[in-house]
Amino acid sequence: MAAPLPPRPKVSPLERRKSLTGWAFLLPASLLILWLSFWPMIQAAILSLQTGRGTRLSFAEPLWSNYTRLLEDETFKLTLQNTFIYLVIQVPLMLVMALILANLLNNPNLRFKSMWRTAIFLPSAVGLVSYALVFRTMFANDGLVNDMLMGLGLIDSPVNWLGQTGTARFVLVLGLLWRWTGYNMIFYLAALQTVDRSTIEAAKIDGASSAKAFWYVTVPQLKPMILLTAILSTNGTLQLFDESYALTAGGPANTSMTISHYLYMVSFRNSPNFGYASAISYVILIIVAALAVVQLKVGDKRD
Amino acid sequence: MQSVAGYVFLTLAAVASVFPLYFMVVSATNSSNEVLASKLLPGTHLLENFRTLVGAQPLGVALWYSALIAVGTTILALAVTSVAGYGFEVFHTKAKDRFMGFLLLGIMIPFAATMIPLFRMFGDLGLVNSWIAVVLPAISTPFLVMLFRQASRSFPHEIIEAARIDGLKELQIFLRIYVPTMRPTFAAAAVITFMAAWNNFLWPKVILVNNDVQTLPMLLTNIQAGYVTDYGMLMLAVLIASLPAMLVFLALQKSFAQGITGAIK
Amino acid sequence: MRTTARKLAVMAAVLPLGLALAACGGGGGSTASGEGGGGDGDNTLTVWAWDPAFNIYALQEAEKVYQQENPDFELDIQEVPWEDVQTRLTTLAQSQETGELPDIFLMQNNAFQKNVLNYPDLFSDLSGSDVDFSEFPESVVAYSTVDGTNYGVPFDNGTAITALRTDVLEQAGYTVDDFTDITWDEFITLGEDVLAKTGQPLLSGQAGSADLPVMMLQSAGASLFDEEGNPTIVDNDALTAAIDTYQRLVETGVLVEVNTWDEYINTLVNDSVAATVNGVWILGSIQSAEDQAGKWAITNVPSLDGVQGATNYTANGGSSWAISSNADVELAQDFLAKTFAGSSELYDTILPGAGALANWIPASESDVYGEPQEFFGGDAIYSKVVGYAEKVPSNNTGAYYYEGRDAVSVAITNIMNGADPKAALEEAQSTVEFAMGS
Repeated sequence: MAAPLPPRPKVSPLERRKSLTGWAFLLPASLLILWLSFWPMIQAAILSLQTGRGTRLSFAEPLWSNYTRLLEDETFKLTLQNTFIYLVIQVPLMLVMALILANLLNNPNLRFKSMWRTAIFLPSAVGLVSYALVFRTMFANDGLVNDMLMGLGLIDSPVNWLGQTGTARFVLVLGLLWRWTGYNMIFYLAALQTVDRSTIEAAKIDGASSAKAFWYVTVPQLKPMILLTAILSTNGTLQLFDESYALTAGGPANTSMTISHYLYMVSFRNSPNFGYASAISYVILIIVAALAVVQLKVGDKRD
Repeated sequence: MQSVAGYVFLTLAAVASVFPLYFMVVSATNSSNEVLASKLLPGTHLLENFRTLVGAQPLGVALWYSALIAVGTTILALAVTSVAGYGFEVFHTKAKDRFMGFLLLGIMIPFAATMIPLFRMFGDLGLVNSWIAVVLPAISTPFLVMLFRQASRSFPHEIIEAARIDGLKELQIFLRIYVPTMRPTFAAAAVITFMAAWNNFLWPKVILVNNDVQTLPMLLTNIQAGYVTDYGMLMLAVLIASLPAMLVFLALQKSFAQGITGAIK
Repeated sequence: MRTTARKLAVMAAVLPLGLALAACGGGGGSTASGEGGGGDGDNTLTVWAWDPAFNIYALQEAEKVYQQENPDFELDIQEVPWEDVQTRLTTLAQSQETGELPDIFLMQNNAFQKNVLNYPDLFSDLSGSDVDFSEFPESVVAYSTVDGTNYGVPFDNGTAITALRTDVLEQAGYTVDDFTDITWDEFITLGEDVLAKTGQPLLSGQAGSADLPVMMLQSAGASLFDEEGNPTIVDNDALTAAIDTYQRLVETGVLVEVNTWDEYINTLVNDSVAATVNGVWILGSIQSAEDQAGKWAITNVPSLDGVQGATNYTANGGSSWAISSNADVELAQDFLAKTFAGSSELYDTILPGAGALANWIPASESDVYGEPQEFFGGDAIYSKVVGYAEKVPSNNTGAYYYEGRDAVSVAITNIMNGADPKAALEEAQSTVEFAMGS
């Protein structure tokens, strides 16, 4: 504080004052983030170098041994793989569906616009406990979904939805789609308001089909929003806990469990190993950050 | 041709979206064993479920604290993050850009990792079991700061300059000129924050150690904790817990869409 | 509209300030001061428990019993689901905020040793109390005993029973006696016949749950861990037999697998199955189907074939009261000793009131336990179950019980999907060994 700042000749006193005022505006929000997110995360970093159960923790020998331990942890590898399966299937599927729905809703001739929008968005207002319960009941062996499929003659005997790896993952992805497609749709719908209609009309006059006009004219203009939703959804999926915990309970045989769910198990169900849990959380953080960087590199060219 | 396909797709999506909600509503009127048997028609047990629920659980307390926490979080979050978003854009410098990028890393921090240190911090502050401890970590999210920052991009800088010449202080400019024009962005941020705060699940369960302060998601897990679960009553509680977030969206949905639009112009 | 905007703006400016003040003041108006334990002679005990119809009801009745001698006494009962009790205990211990603990908390028996071993500073031991542990079944006391020290007063009786639908058995030409003191082989033979004659499977169970195999394991006095806490999942005859039995139950169709707990309960209350094997507490759910009154009966569970030490008795679940390190220890010990470990009156009330069956052996001498139960065809089921309880063999839990149980669940799921049992169990063993390493 006491050290005098080196003189910066090019900045006028007025500019300097403006800049300081600017920092003052940032202060409350930044302090809260630094205090309540970054500071605990630093403590978690220290914790990730410690081993021991319960409160009997000591620094590991070598320090990074929790991280090397991850490489031998079959459950960790399985949950990491599961999480990536969700990421690769669910995020693109959801974003494409949201994009299509938003485009349909953006049609000026569409009737009952707000009814459609409301109906499709509402699921994202439903809390975890509620929706997990409803889904579990619907996908039970003698639940509604099986009743309906059998009624339609599509299957002969009930499908054991949550009891098989493939179908359990499918139900989980379906749940995610149900809850979050409408949410992303709203973002696209908003972005579409900024798309210049005349560019689409021009493309159509040049003979492009609606689908082509959408793909070549509309979508590029939505790029910043697609990038934003992609980063947010990637982040959400890599930290996915709710669905794995409450909907499939990780089963069968951990094949639908996510990393965050495993993190919770290591911390609270098993004999608690917080050093190791912190190492797992850092792996999540690093993967999310790496993917965000990649997405930004691919997507954004501003600045 | 295409519009028919469009309507079909929309209808499918809408039905798939609303059906589980319909099931939830119907189940609230059925008995426990009827819910388990997936009965799809409305029943006659609504009143009975309500009486059991009120008799067994502190519904009023949970509603009050859920509302207090969600409204408190929303108001404070809007206040703090809008100021910051404005600051980032209006007083834009390279250093602030870099700092913003750094803060954005905060989105990626898994909550389960910070829970134990956070708990210790709130313990030191004497805030365990206080609704404030639920509100505080949810106030300042990098995402909202970014939303306001992006929205501020469309805000004409000339107006600010004019106001400065008129002798208005920076905070006055923010309050009198920026806030009124950015109402849709505030609505969008409000919907996002309210929904997240209303449905917050893990942290309240940990930090609220005394049942004098409870939230609705906590109450829902209470109902399922015993050896015998009354599913009809549970579904009614589920319905009651879901309604407010839906209503907030319905009330603000027009501005919500506009606000997000503002943020990406 | 403009005034709303202005109000919003004012609030935006004022609230962070107010918040900062509230945070510094450390109150905010809603923090009930001095809750949790540590009450110094204020005659109030705070307790965490989770089931209003069961253990919380029992607490309320215990409060009344204790108030007869101590009129000023009060319980402050906090309803906390078990998983949240565990999460809170872990968080409190890990952040060293034990001052927020209640005086007494209820703990699942299976988790007791894990918590005592990892977080000894959460507990006060019961060595100075008046509780006579010889008045509880040894197998139950063992859950909350670490290195010979008692940390828990047993409450909830997890003794296993077979509950059977007599009306369905009758259609197939059987009675409850045919299912009493039998082995699992006999059970499967009977089950196939019932299935053929009535189309109803006898059992249902949650796929991927180790509940039933672990009950079988304990019935032969075996465990997933030895007394030193090392995993004994490989070369464990009882476990191999239990898993083999489970597999045959499923393959013959005598047991149908469902996926969730809700579905399992549904099979019982909506007439899908004709029996169930579980802890005695399952009767609470069974009795919620009022239309089935008089159609149920109970007996002991089948024993494993060809396994040394096999019995017809086992347990699933159950819970015990623990006194926290933050408690008014003297009052808490006295309360537990005079209620859950010393009051026939209490158990006489909560048995008919909540189906809460005592672990405290003297309680079973009361007439209430011998009363015929209409729902169960007029049988005196409660004294019957208490009789079973004394014969349940002990099993070792240790600090890694949940890891062991989860690993075995995974193994069972894989075996059901065609994996080689031996290889699957070896994998389970190494998973547990890995979890125990650092």
